[in-house]
Amino acid sequence: MMKFLFKNFKIFNGKEFIKEECLLTEEGKISRVGSALECEGAETVEGNGRLLTPGFIDLHAHFRDPGGEWNEDLQSGARAGAAGGFTTLVAMPNTKPAISEPALIEYVISHGAAARAARILPAGCVSKGRGGKEICEMEKMSEAGAVFFTDDGSPIATSHLMRLALLYTGKKLPRVMEHPEEISLFQGGQVHEGRVSAMSGLKGIPGASEEIDVARGIALVRDTGGRIHFTHLSSAGAVELIRNAKRAGLDVSCDTTFHHLTLNENAVIASGYNSRFKVNPPLRSANDQKALWEGLLDGTIDAIVTDHAPWHLDDKDEPFQEAPFGIASLECAVAVLLDYRARNYPEVPLELLFRKMTSSPAALLPEKWHGLGRIEEGAPADLTVVDEDRTRIVDCSAWKSKARCCPWEGTALTGWPVATFVGGERIWQDEEEL
Amino acid sequence: MGWRHRSVIDLDGWTRDEFLFFLDQSRQMENVMDRPVKKVPALRGKMCVNLFFENSTRTRVSFELAEKMLSADVVNWSASGSSTAKGETMRDTAWTLESMGADIVVMRHGAVGAAQYLASKLKRGIVLNAGDGTHAHPTQALLDVYTAWKHYGDLEGRKIALIGDVLHSRVARSDVIAFRTMGCEVVLSGPPTLMPREVEDLGVAYEREPRDAVKGADMVYLLRIQRERQQEGLFPSVDEYHRWWGADEELMKRAKPGALAMHPGPINRGVEIASEVADGHQSVILEQVRSGVATRMALLYLCGGGAR
Repeated sequence: MMKFLFKNFKIFNGKEFIKEECLLTEEGKISRVGSALECEGAETVEGNGRLLTPGFIDLHAHFRDPGGEWNEDLQSGARAGAAGGFTTLVAMPNTKPAISEPALIEYVISHGAAARAARILPAGCVSKGRGGKEICEMEKMSEAGAVFFTDDGSPIATSHLMRLALLYTGKKLPRVMEHPEEISLFQGGQVHEGRVSAMSGLKGIPGASEEIDVARGIALVRDTGGRIHFTHLSSAGAVELIRNAKRAGLDVSCDTTFHHLTLNENAVIASGYNSRFKVNPPLRSANDQKALWEGLLDGTIDAIVTDHAPWHLDDKDEPFQEAPFGIASLECAVAVLLDYRARNYPEVPLELLFRKMTSSPAALLPEKWHGLGRIEEGAPADLTVVDEDRTRIVDCSAWKSKARCCPWEGTALTGWPVATFVGGERIWQDEEEL
Repeated sequence: MGWRHRSVIDLDGWTRDEFLFFLDQSRQMENVMDRPVKKVPALRGKMCVNLFFENSTRTRVSFELAEKMLSADVVNWSASGSSTAKGETMRDTAWTLESMGADIVVMRHGAVGAAQYLASKLKRGIVLNAGDGTHAHPTQALLDVYTAWKHYGDLEGRKIALIGDVLHSRVARSDVIAFRTMGCEVVLSGPPTLMPREVEDLGVAYEREPRDAVKGADMVYLLRIQRERQQEGLFPSVDEYHRWWGADEELMKRAKPGALAMHPGPINRGVEIASEVADGHQSVILEQVRSGVATRMALLYLCGGGAR
């Protein structure tokens, strides 16, 4: 296995930037971190002051495999992740068939690994077939490698089912991940209920839809002593509920997406209702967007995810109301965030954002994976090189992903991942770096 | 003045001067309607396709009459039996229309953004939006403004009360933009369950009580109520709706004397409007229908190259 000697980097160790600027990888692990390191036989990666971080971890991505490989498969998804600076991707289980039995967990792991790109870790369903009736064989699925249990794409169908799932997983099995949405407030919804629904006539989805489900989950965590992770948070009210639950000492965590942090409903209006801005939960108001940043800053929000939702252009390129929800973003998400922060929130420390994409999401995975998301001797050599000054235009036609529908197509962004390493192997490098 | 609009998807961005220019053109077109031979050669040799994915007799016939009076060749394409019903994407439909040489496509579609989408896919063809879902119905707003303008001349400072189901009304959204641009005060009224939550983002006031909304109004515009909204539970009964928000003579008395009673049609007698108002001396509902042909002629003429 190759040895790599990283020299002259500004190293972020998962918590903070450190004074050492060199790092050596051997046998798939980080063997040394220090200054002025040398190692015979190692390939040198010259940093010239660029950033070296633990590989980015995305707790929420969709790969449509099995059943929708025309849109994306596990291999194209793993390569897309690598090209976006991600080294670990959690695959959502709302495929066809849904990932609700151990053999399908193994399928996701083995097919993902075949790409030799980003590591794909499967989330399994809460309910058999995502049918919302009976809980899955969670012990067996956990043993097979499931890292979360979720019926994502939909909320857990009933409070009773969620309660069972929380009781059954407890503190031992992987966390329950909830897609927070009150179905009866969603019916037929297309956009945030607010300015964009008033202007367009599109059916609105109120923020309360998310808040009600978050409140349900919190109540059941209090009741059961279980653990829950709310994914793709979008509303100010939900952030506030989780903030209070954390203060009360409940084991509740949450994430938000790159696009909810960097876009709001005004983008839908400005685009002329272009389906590239159609996501679920919808892009909400500027106030909601601000609350998400506040949630990041005060620690309420634990992770930033992509919710990479790949659709073939033939399926997504439709009038807004007819197009499916979801956008592809794995390959530009990090750049989107870095660029947006530099322009709008320069006061937010870069290391805070990096924490939300490395050590903080790693801590929500099963214990086996807690070594990810940190740079220290003995940790897996999952690493990402970031060039804060690199400016590039988002060009979906050059993507590794099969999806081509992205709100930032054609946008010049500054701050890009330029090389990705998993388990000590270089899995992707920006062509300009070669 | 020059005409800068090719496709017309909605009326956002139209200036007051453009409206006034358009209204003058509409008046000239209405003169054509009064001639013994109702035909001018303005669009001779142009092919218009009326592409209706939703049923709409009056808008489609109004456009067709307008197109024929301007001597365009007209093809009516309805969704039933079309390739769309067989699963063709709208992108393919657009490219098919382009290949067939369509110059102007008039489209009614149930999806918000459909007209904009079609326009974005056509390289040459012009798209006139005949209603996209609950978003916009620009030609309805143009005919409404034209009807009011013929009665009042300058509309600056006039007040219009729009009453009914604003939430699902493409007519209301387009009328709000059009009448506000003309300098009118616009007030909305109707059950809160049929009103957009952030109604102030439309730049208008909301009065729950129609009796308050119509005070001092020069125009009282009744929006059509679809009975399926009651089945969805958005209002309790047609009777209660009529009693509180329907327009009867009592309500009209609270507006300015001689205020116009307007409606986009087809009307639900005894629901949003009582017969004595629909057929009364204040009603301009049939004038609106006539205005529809004139304004659509003007729009086809201006966008179709007749003015260039």
